[in-house]
Order: sequence, then C-alpha cells, then structure tokens
Amino acid sequence: MFKKGLAGLLSAAMAVGMLGTAMVPMNIMADDVEEITWMFWDDLEATEDLISKGYKQILDRYNEEYAGKYHVTAITTNLEEYDGKVNALVAAGQTPDVFICNPGPNLDVYVNAGVAADLTDILQNQEKEWYDTFTDGIFESLTYDGKIMAVPTNFAAACVYYNTEMFDAAGVEVPKTFDELLEVCQTLKDAGYTPISCSAGTAWCLSMIAGYLCDRQGVDLDAIAAHEANWTDDVVVQAATKLKELSQYFQETAAGDSNDQATAGFYNGEAAMLVQGSWAIGQINGNNPDFESKCGVFQFPAIEGANDPNRMIVKTDNLVMSSTTEHQEAAVALMKMFTDETAQKYTAEIGGKFPIIKNVEIDYEVAPAQLKYVVDIMSTATGNFGFYNESLASVEAGDTFDNAMVDVFLGNQTPEEACQTIQTYYEDNVWE
Amino acid sequence: MDKLLKDKKAIILFVTPALAMFVVILVIPIIQMFYYSLCDYAALTPPVFKGLANYKKLFFKDATFKIALKNSLFFMIFSAVTQQIIGLFLAVLLTNIPRGRNLFKNIYYLPCVLSSAALGLLWAFMFNPKIGINQLLAKIGIKGPLWLMDSKGFIVLPMWVIAFVALWQYVGQNMMLYMAQITGISRELFEASYVDGASKPQAFWYITLPLIKPMMITSLSLNCIGSLKFFDLVYNMTQGGPNHRTEVLATQLYAEGFNYFKYGYASAISVVLLVMCLVVTVLIKRVIKVETYES
Repeated sequence: MFKKGLAGLLSAAMAVGMLGTAMVPMNIMADDVEEITWMFWDDLEATEDLISKGYKQILDRYNEEYAGKYHVTAITTNLEEYDGKVNALVAAGQTPDVFICNPGPNLDVYVNAGVAADLTDILQNQEKEWYDTFTDGIFESLTYDGKIMAVPTNFAAACVYYNTEMFDAAGVEVPKTFDELLEVCQTLKDAGYTPISCSAGTAWCLSMIAGYLCDRQGVDLDAIAAHEANWTDDVVVQAATKLKELSQYFQETAAGDSNDQATAGFYNGEAAMLVQGSWAIGQINGNNPDFESKCGVFQFPAIEGANDPNRMIVKTDNLVMSSTTEHQEAAVALMKMFTDETAQKYTAEIGGKFPIIKNVEIDYEVAPAQLKYVVDIMSTATGNFGFYNESLASVEAGDTFDNAMVDVFLGNQTPEEACQTIQTYYEDNVWE
Repeated sequence: MDKLLKDKKAIILFVTPALAMFVVILVIPIIQMFYYSLCDYAALTPPVFKGLANYKKLFFKDATFKIALKNSLFFMIFSAVTQQIIGLFLAVLLTNIPRGRNLFKNIYYLPCVLSSAALGLLWAFMFNPKIGINQLLAKIGIKGPLWLMDSKGFIVLPMWVIAFVALWQYVGQNMMLYMAQITGISRELFEASYVDGASKPQAFWYITLPLIKPMMITSLSLNCIGSLKFFDLVYNMTQGGPNHRTEVLATQLYAEGFNYFKYGYASAISVVLLVMCLVVTVLIKRVIKVETYES
C-alpha cells in the first residue's frame, strides 16, 4: 500500500514537473520580451568597484526603461578568468549578445573570427546622432580596415598612485626621474614602509611597469613589429634591467599576489605606491573611501637622456556586439545607454575614469580627487601608447612579454635571457 | 539466460545502444581530437592540416610544455607512492581496530566527497601569506615561506603543496578500495597462519598483500590516470603560476584552448596526455603480476 502510494506521489510530481517545464517557455513567449546577455569581468552583486557598480546601475536603468520590450542579463566572472570564459562561450556557439573587451590582440581575435559585429553602418548611418557624441579619434584603436568593431565606454590612463602620509613621514618628494624613484623607494624602505605594491601574479600589472620602462627607454614597438628592431636590442635589455632594480622594492608577496590583492595592499596602507590605470580610482575609493584624501598621483618618471617622458599608457573599455545576435536593436540600445550622458557623468564623477563622449560637463568638485590629478597629468601628455600586452602581435605574444618580465622579477632569467625569450618567440611565430 | 545468450538478435539489440553511445561520446571525439592535433585550428574557422607541426613545437620549442610534463609526472609519482602506501596503511589499520572503524573511515573519506574547486580555494586562502598559515607561524616567531608563490628549485614549493593537498583529499579513496578488498579475505586464512606461528606483519606480507594485488592494479591505475589529468586543485590554487611554474598538462591544455584559441595545439597536448595514460595503465598491468589464490 505504502509503495503504491509512494509511486503515485512520484508520478504526480513528475507530471507536474514536466507540465511546469513545458509552461516556462510559453510564459516567456507570451511576454514577448527580447532577452539579451551582457558579459563582464566583475561580480556586479559583490563588487565594491565604483565603475562596476555604475555598470550595474546602467543595466538596472535599461531593464526599467525598456521593461516589457528588452531585458538584459549579466554574465559575470572574475577578471583573471574572463577571456577564457568568453572564448569558451564563443566556441560553444553561445556568444553573449554584448560583451566587454580589451583593445588590441583580444579584439583582433573576435574581429578576425567574425565574432564581433561590424558597427560602422549602425554608427555612421543608422545612429549618426549617437556617433557624433563620441570624442574625436576615440574609435581609432577599434577600427579595422575602416570598419568600427567596438564601442568604447570610458578610457583610463596609467599613473603612479602614492600615499601622501607615508611620503611626508619619510620626508620624500614626488620623483621626476627613474633614479629619483629608486632613491625614494630606498628612503621609504629605510623608514619601514613597503615602497611599491605590485602584482606579478596577475602578470599584466607588472608588465605595465615594464611597458613604461620600455617606452621611457625608447623601445619602438612599430620597428619591432616590422622587424627593423629586435627584442634583444640594448634598449629593451636596459628596460628589463631597470625593472629588476625597481622590483627589489615590491612587497614580499608580489610574486603571487593578484591585481586585487596588490591594489588592496596600497589602499589599506601596506605600501606607499601603486602603478595602475585610473580604473583603480573606483576600486580604491569604493573599498576605502577614507583613503581618497591621502592618495596622490604622479606620472611615471622619466629616464634621463632617453625617450620622451610625457607619453602615457591609456586604454579604453569597449563593448563588442556579437555578429550572430538576433536582438541587434536591443543590443544597440544597451550600448547607447553605456555611453549616454548619465553613464558618462557617473564614469568621471564617481568612477574616476575619463568619459568618451564630448560635451559632458564634469563637476570636479564632486569627482574623486585623484581624477583631477590624472587630468592635470594628461594635459601635459605629448602622446599615448597601449599596454604592451595589448600592443603586440597576438594575445600569446603579449603573454610571452608579460611572462618574460615576470621571470626577470622572479630571478629565473637575466634581463638578457628574458629578452632572448621574447626574441625567439617572435622569430618562430611572428616574423617567420 | 543461456537461450538468450545464444540469440544473436537479442545480443545485437542489447549491445547496440551502449555501443552507439560509446562510439558517439568517446570514439568519434578521440578520432576528431587526433585529426585536430594535426591541424592549425582556432575553433571559429575551419581546421587547416599542418601535419606534425603542433607536435614538433610541443616537444622541441615549448618551454611551458616541458614544465607541465615534469609537473604532471612528479604529481603522478608522488600521488601513486604516497596515496597507495598511506591508503593501504590506513585500510589495514582500520580493518584491525575493534572500535571506531566507521567513524575514522568517514573522517578519512570526507575530503574525497567535497568539491575540489571549493577545496582549492580553501587551501589557497590557508596558504595565502597575508591571511593563512603564515599568520599562525608568525605568532610563534616563525617566518613562513611563500607556499604558493616560490619559483625556485626543480620541483617548486607550490607543486609540493598542491601534491600534499591532493594526498589529503584522495587518500581516503584508496583507503576505501583497499578496505573493501581486505574485508573480503577469508578470516580462516589469517587464523590458520596464526596457528602456524605467523606474526601480524608476516600475515600482512604473505596473505593480505598477495590477495589485494588485483585491487592494487585498479587503485594504482585510477590514481595514476587521475594524477596525470589533474586540473582542479592546480587551477584553483595557483592557476599554473607563478609564471607557469605549477603548470600541469591539463592546465596548459585549457590555457592553449581557451585563452589562445589554439584548439589544434591543445588537441596535441590531449593526445600526449591520452598516450601517457595508456602507457601507464599498460605498465602497471605488466609490472604487477596477479596470481589466483582463492576460488
């Protein structure tokens, strides 16, 4: 009797379950809402990063404004795993309708594979008014053979952030040259402070310093790309040697610390300096609002007698639309919302990054103090260049550079050996 | 039953579904993988046949592959030796204790049923110099090493750490396998040996050990294959870092496939991994001779 009753109960549960499953798509179809996905490299629910919080607000605004018509769902992952996850989805034929992407080789992959939609016609014809709002030249790094393949949401410049209290306590001034930077580091170290917080666990963080040293030293990436110069040239070796010199002032755990850990080490007062993009402003102020008042910014120091010291590393965050999306209008509406005045004002005044549209009024009184410092630095900039790992021939070439620089830091390779490693990679894979 | 086994139609009817699934899920993907390993294949564009180019690069030019191969072999040998010896020791111990057997069995087996991803993160926190074991060591005046960050030595410290965590996690599985085999040995054999004057170590050496050899082959094979294709703890504890020093074949395969879109190259690593698993399995079967003592 009990068995019969149990069998009846389970059968009923199965029937209800099947009926319920069958009902779900019917409900969705009845709503007639176009559902799109957007993929991003931070957890929007758990994050303290102010830029990420701003993105969450944009999604909420979108879902509210287009309620009953469009709906966006965020697919999020952590930064370190982001590219792998996007690639896995693309390979599985489940490309998100819109996803965030770094410029350079990362975007090259999606453009060359036909994953990224060509936005030229949409921007220059269908939505010309929207296109005209963008800052002149902002699409330069996103244009392939005259086709615009992504839309920027903001841009950031890499600078050196420093703890003014520690500088005052150690009696040091902002360094203008690399030699002065080494002296400042030594004085800070003697005063009991960790001079620089840096992540070698997230290789691009260390690579950013290496990139600055290469550029300051006079490395010409275009000449290397054309094989008119080599990775084993003296300028690259000298830059790698300087990286080794500077790395003795990194925190003890730099080898394995992630980007977030290294940044936290700075805003929690464990180190005096941090070399980061201005996206870190949102992360610093979001996690430790009290730190804003004692956080100064200066541009990466010059190498005396070498290259122009006023060139800045800048990069944009970009939105790519899937070429296979069945909801183009919904996707474009989302991208427009990321670049409208509300979002762009938030980007600058709360997040501390640069807007990518013209005629947006920024109230520097309410914006993070660090943004003003970065704006001042940018006003004297004579040129810009991208992250080295995003400026080389491929994602793998960028990783080869990053890893070689990490090896120099770890002491596993001499600067000469590390440069030879990159040279060999280029000989085998790029210049062949 | 005999009638059924003589009916060829019935045999075909019963075997076909399983065989079809086996072919679709295993055989075809393996053949595909072999083919892709000979191609330049980025998943989104059609594969271009390149012959043995991927293998040449893998064996003669890829420094990361050498590290991954070394680490995978180290991991396999370490796991095989430690997990088998300690697993067998625990199994013998627990089958010989009169009380508390189930309690200890569950305690040793518990890590095995937990998610490796969660355990990987847990141990990564434990070995984080800012929040973990080093903080406890600092309280008694000891400066702990950088457990997951050190990059010196032939086998780097993080690899040893991961291997010990894997030992902690999976020793219970070997223990359970050996316990199942030991409890199946007739008590009369042991009693007869004691009557003949054998000590407990002698009984273990001359009765237990020969009779658990079939399980030893199974356990060792599972252990070695599992170690060679090990991924989750490494990925969650170090992501192959610092700078590829803890890369194993499975993590390199993942990176080549999903970070660089080099599916052909990743397939070549898969083929190497598959061949290694087959070689190890055959070697184990050849080296450990099994004799039948009981009917």
